[in-house]
Amino acid sequence: MEKVGAVMVVGAGIGGSQSALDLGDSGYKVYLIESTTSIGGVMAQLDKTFPTNDCAMCIVSPKLVETGRHQNIDLSINCEILNVSGEAGNFTVKVKKNSLYINPDICTGCGVCGRNCPVEAIDLFNEGLARYHATSVKYPQAVPLVYAINKEYCIGCGVCAGVCKAKAVEYDRDDEIVDINVGAIILAPGFDEFVPQAANKYGYGKFKNVVTSIEFERILSASGPYAGKVLRPSDGDIPEKVAFLQCIGSRDYTGEGQPYCSSVCCMYTAKEAVIAHEHQHEVKPTIFSMDIRAYGKDFDKYIIKAQEEYGVRYIRSRISSVTEIPETKDLRLRYETEDGKVIEEDFNMVVLSVGLNPPNDAKYLAEKFGIELNEYSFAKTDIFNPVQTTKAGIFACGAFSQPKDIPETVTQASAAAGCVNQLLYEKRGTLITEKSLPPEIFVAGQPPRIGVFICHCGINIGGYVDVPEVTRYAKTLPNVVMSDRNLYTCSADTQGIIKEKIEEFHLNRVIVASCTPRTHEPLFQETIREAGLNRYLFQMANIRDQCSWVHMKQPEQATQKAKDLVRMAVNKARQIAPIDRIKLPVTKKALVIGGGITGMVAALNFASQQIDTYLVEREAELGGFAKYIYHTLEGGDVQAYLKDLINQVKSNKFINVYTNAELEELNGYIGNFKSTVIYGEKNERAEFDHGVVVVATGANEYKPKEYLYGQNENVILQSEFEEMLNTDSIIKNKKSVVMIQCVGSRNEEHPYCSKMCCAEAIKNALLVKKINPSTEVTILFRDIRTYGFKEKYYRKAREEGIIFIRYDENSPPEISTENSSLNVNVNSVKAGNLSIPADLLVLSAGIVASHEDNEELAKMLKVPLNDDNFYLEAHVKLRPVDFATEGVFVAGLAHCPKTIEDSISQANAAVSRACTILSKDEIEAEGKTAVIDVARCIGCGMCVENCAYNAIELIEDRRFGLVASINQALCKGCGACSGNCRCSAIDILGFTAEQIYAMITGRL
Amino acid sequence: MGIEQDNKEIISSIRENAKNLLSENQVDVVIGYSEGTVPLSSTPIIIRRVEDIEKLTWNNLCYMNLARYLAPLMPQLCDSEGKSLRIGIVAKGCVGRAINLLAVEKQVDLDKIKMIGFNCNGIVNRSKIALEIGEKEILEVNISGNEIIVKGRDWEKRFPYDQYINELCKVCQVKSPSSTEANCVGECQELETINDEFSDITEFETKSAGEKWEYFKEILQVCTLCYSCRQACPVCYCNLCFVDQNKPVWFGKTTEYQDIFTFHLVRAQHLAGRCVACGACSSVCPVGIDLNFITRKLEKIVKERYNYTSGLNAEKVPPMMDFKMEDAQEFMLEED
Amino acid sequence: MTETVLEEKKVDKNWEPKIVAFLCNWCSYAGADLAGVSRIQYPPNIRIVRVPCSGRVNPYFIIKSLTDGWDGVVISGCHPGDCHYISGNLVARRRFAILKELLEFFGIEPGRVNFMWASAAEGERFAVLIRKATKIVKELGPNTKFQREWC
Repeated sequence: MEKVGAVMVVGAGIGGSQSALDLGDSGYKVYLIESTTSIGGVMAQLDKTFPTNDCAMCIVSPKLVETGRHQNIDLSINCEILNVSGEAGNFTVKVKKNSLYINPDICTGCGVCGRNCPVEAIDLFNEGLARYHATSVKYPQAVPLVYAINKEYCIGCGVCAGVCKAKAVEYDRDDEIVDINVGAIILAPGFDEFVPQAANKYGYGKFKNVVTSIEFERILSASGPYAGKVLRPSDGDIPEKVAFLQCIGSRDYTGEGQPYCSSVCCMYTAKEAVIAHEHQHEVKPTIFSMDIRAYGKDFDKYIIKAQEEYGVRYIRSRISSVTEIPETKDLRLRYETEDGKVIEEDFNMVVLSVGLNPPNDAKYLAEKFGIELNEYSFAKTDIFNPVQTTKAGIFACGAFSQPKDIPETVTQASAAAGCVNQLLYEKRGTLITEKSLPPEIFVAGQPPRIGVFICHCGINIGGYVDVPEVTRYAKTLPNVVMSDRNLYTCSADTQGIIKEKIEEFHLNRVIVASCTPRTHEPLFQETIREAGLNRYLFQMANIRDQCSWVHMKQPEQATQKAKDLVRMAVNKARQIAPIDRIKLPVTKKALVIGGGITGMVAALNFASQQIDTYLVEREAELGGFAKYIYHTLEGGDVQAYLKDLINQVKSNKFINVYTNAELEELNGYIGNFKSTVIYGEKNERAEFDHGVVVVATGANEYKPKEYLYGQNENVILQSEFEEMLNTDSIIKNKKSVVMIQCVGSRNEEHPYCSKMCCAEAIKNALLVKKINPSTEVTILFRDIRTYGFKEKYYRKAREEGIIFIRYDENSPPEISTENSSLNVNVNSVKAGNLSIPADLLVLSAGIVASHEDNEELAKMLKVPLNDDNFYLEAHVKLRPVDFATEGVFVAGLAHCPKTIEDSISQANAAVSRACTILSKDEIEAEGKTAVIDVARCIGCGMCVENCAYNAIELIEDRRFGLVASINQALCKGCGACSGNCRCSAIDILGFTAEQIYAMITGRL
Repeated sequence: MGIEQDNKEIISSIRENAKNLLSENQVDVVIGYSEGTVPLSSTPIIIRRVEDIEKLTWNNLCYMNLARYLAPLMPQLCDSEGKSLRIGIVAKGCVGRAINLLAVEKQVDLDKIKMIGFNCNGIVNRSKIALEIGEKEILEVNISGNEIIVKGRDWEKRFPYDQYINELCKVCQVKSPSSTEANCVGECQELETINDEFSDITEFETKSAGEKWEYFKEILQVCTLCYSCRQACPVCYCNLCFVDQNKPVWFGKTTEYQDIFTFHLVRAQHLAGRCVACGACSSVCPVGIDLNFITRKLEKIVKERYNYTSGLNAEKVPPMMDFKMEDAQEFMLEED
Repeated sequence: MTETVLEEKKVDKNWEPKIVAFLCNWCSYAGADLAGVSRIQYPPNIRIVRVPCSGRVNPYFIIKSLTDGWDGVVISGCHPGDCHYISGNLVARRRFAILKELLEFFGIEPGRVNFMWASAAEGERFAVLIRKATKIVKELGPNTKFQREWC
């Protein structure tokens, strides 16, 4: 069957959106199918995100807007999957698009229907805490901004049809069934949160002040039910004492919840506690948890900060029941402390940190798509490639395969796209259509001829602002040759009118006074471009969101303000000029630095798309860190996998391997890099051009200075122990093995968790028991961080009699030697001082990054390192494998400690991100960039220091000496450079000093 | 003892060091001070030959900051073959600070500069003396012991030295260049930080907005926008100063207060974290405006907010070139 | 402000200040949009100028606004850490800190120029802070300091 250059993405949360964007940007047609009425998923519900406390809406909404209007992405909401047939490369999916009863092509999202709907329905988005209407959008910034009628609540009164000036309401609009032909499918349906059963021991549903964490998230949100104030539902008081109960529905063997760990709750709870305290200083949070699983990048620092700066109290205990004090509606918790005391304490509010369940329709989806689910009803995936489902051509990403946080979801979303690239690369660009546009009209030197279009937006603007008056006023302004008003300026027919007027009046500047440019500017820019004008000869005046809607009771002032805003837009329009987007050629070759598993997976992915790849490895042999790992906790045979990878890499004609190699020089920028490598024993030199760089340089195992390592032969590292277990039978003679966790992790020198040591220790402990059940194994730990499905092995280890003893970070174990035998003295938090004899002491050494090595490369690549010397990505949540420097990507241990599977995902994700560049012959740079007037520039270098994108460098100009030079391929046009420039040598196209001067002057 | 004796010692050490630099061919030219042509002044001089060493001098009227002659001119200081010159420069503490700052801002090449450092003993406050003398013509100014002796046709006036030097000099803590010995001959020191004291500024800050406005209106009203302050400033080296820019013209050229205000405000913003406290602007002001009062405020801002003092070394970037997540933001508008 | 000063100025009781607001595109402008979508009402005194980032706001814009007769100026960006351009707002924060101190040193009333952070999700906060800024400027009265004498 012939392959199809289209991909279906099911689920449009942050994961699905990322897959769709990656694939759309790489030249595939994407069908993005969403079951609800807007995209964004759970992330759009969040207030802030850990560990940076970034505002979720601020960072996600530009991405959603981009998804909504991407020309290669066909977005369908309110959909159901009916049937799937075909195989990898060519599937046919039957999709039912349920009717919204409002025509989405006509609906402008103005919202009049929703405001006039007489029946109130429950708003799912605010988690039942706010009231909404039967006609509604999910939330104010929804993408697509299209209303839908909820037939369950609709009484058919006809009010909405009556008030809709766009005539978009169609009560009898039918469902639509379509067959969609695609080459690959990505499943990203996300998760559903655990809902405590009706009769639960926490009183959820019975006691008003017991809420779930996702409800609490909405309470914290500025757009939530209490506008960001932390209030408790029973009486609207500020709750001073808030208790967070961990592991609700997770790590639960009672059958009520799930046995696995939900991976994200420890962190989101810490975040909610911190934000609650930040919003309302009276709030004193207490978190009840068994382990604190802060295993991700910079997570531990966040937990420490929560305790030290925000006074968050951690109590290690699992709460078994909650009772309410009827008079005050406060809640009484009974818990046992670690040293065995039973305490009763009252709290004003209780938040249940609910776990992540597989999506409710997981079984349905699995059946339709013919994929298998695992024992927990999540998608079953390949042991080494966590985005590959059991069926070829169908991939899963995000929480559908295992509970995970946002960056891991985004990584997997890109990784799934990376795997699609491997499958369909030769069909890239076959199903997308390039729009043909007329040549641009030459306007340079002509006096401005401005046309102003003023929108009534039904009654949204016209109801409060005197639109005819504003239209008359606009006509009186200098250089305005026509002004007109429209019922909906954004409607399809008005686009035709705008084009006609441009021709009729020879307009060379167009202004639309309506809603916000954030959502509508691209639409109007497209319209004037179709009429032959440069996109940037356009201005918008925001007279709805920032005028009529916020001054509804002051029509006169609103009209005056609208006039002022239009005049300011006209003043600016008189100063605007066409902007050409520069185009840069792309060298379709890749450089991968580091020949471990991560680097090899990335190289093989590139190579399988026939992209020439240079793989540079410092050591004599490929393999990296994985050389010392035999199995994964889940039983994957790492050595076999590694051997296979090395063979594939060595035999692939698209991969040039350089071993014993160092990168000597790297210059250039996105699409156009040039590198020099010194390699081999004879120090040969190779030079090559490439378009992207993937940094996969890995990290090292910590070499302990503590616990007699290197002094006593019976003290060994976990990796050495693993080798011993797999190659020799000496363990049979050992009666007692003691393992110490967090050696070189979570301390002052390395204040982060190395993520894999807990799993490594349990894996080796289980292997000991398998080889010799009578050997006693003791694991001394601070927290056991077997997140996700790894929890199963922790439980198994406990069942097999492996002893776990928790020690406090302030009193680490001590080792004594007597007659060559080892004794481990530990101060157990539960049982006091213990002395354990050990035949072997195994140290779980952490992962460390080398400052010297990484800094050298970081400088060459102009990318940053974090405090722990790992590479710092562009954005910890939404751009986990990108660097701020475009065209450079990071994957694997170089980014932070992680498992092999996660490294492989990152490798594929980096390839997918890189393919958004390498799939194009040339890339178009943003037009609104900084420009330098070299005659003014004095070369002081201030702009260089202030630029976050390394887009500016100082060069020697023949006439003017040392001056700044801007690389337009890298510049994002933020203007941080120009705001500080004393010489006014830098200006920002689209927001020039002259344009802003024109807006703020000429007022009176 | 006394200032007179100090000056003699300073002059001999400057000449000695300059002579060594030139005769050992460590530098091609020496920039220094020579006697002024009119009273209450001094003149910068460039010396190429050892024979001219005696022209170098030092007195307490050497108010110009010689670093002014390095930027943006340094690339143009070349010999006949176009090879850039190695420069020796007589450096009081604030000249050293200016050179360090210019090095951070890539305007000078420290490898080509040798500072001739000495312990500066202060600069006479010209406008304060001029104010007391009034309209009378000054023919001669001398320093004797610890007194400044100003002579006219048939009169003489004596001023105690320690009271009639610049306010900046009274509190100066960087009297010799803060530099390594590699870049400096003579007196120098490697300062990490200094503890300056700003009680005069702090006191002024307690005034009401109206009082502050009136105070500045009063003292700045006489400004004629002659831009002497800019010309004398060692760190004002733009090709095209903002006052001369068009497209757009951010402020007018009238001597109405709003234009004077804009000039001094923007100049202050541009000097934030860059002013080296040499006082040259005040010294050259023909109408005697105490511009140091404004520059002291700048020093206070960057010291308090960013713990920065300009020109103590050639590595640390000024605060406007840098930022930190935890920078103070108490000035932001917040909800009640 | 004391009553006598108000009296001296003979301020028209119906006088309403005009305030120019520079909002960064990604957070504060979006926050202002959200205030609109949520129909949160605030005084109609501000005129918004969209800029890509608070880092774009040059001191000239602010000084010119004052000398050109706007009664108040508001500059709003993303909260530290939220900047769409990674660190533009941090660069801006130092610039604004210095400018604000200087303006006050020269005798401009502290409330004439207001810097604030508002995120894309903070429609309510945006409205609250604009209300507050408007109230402050209104209490200060008209900005007459820069009227040209020959006007």
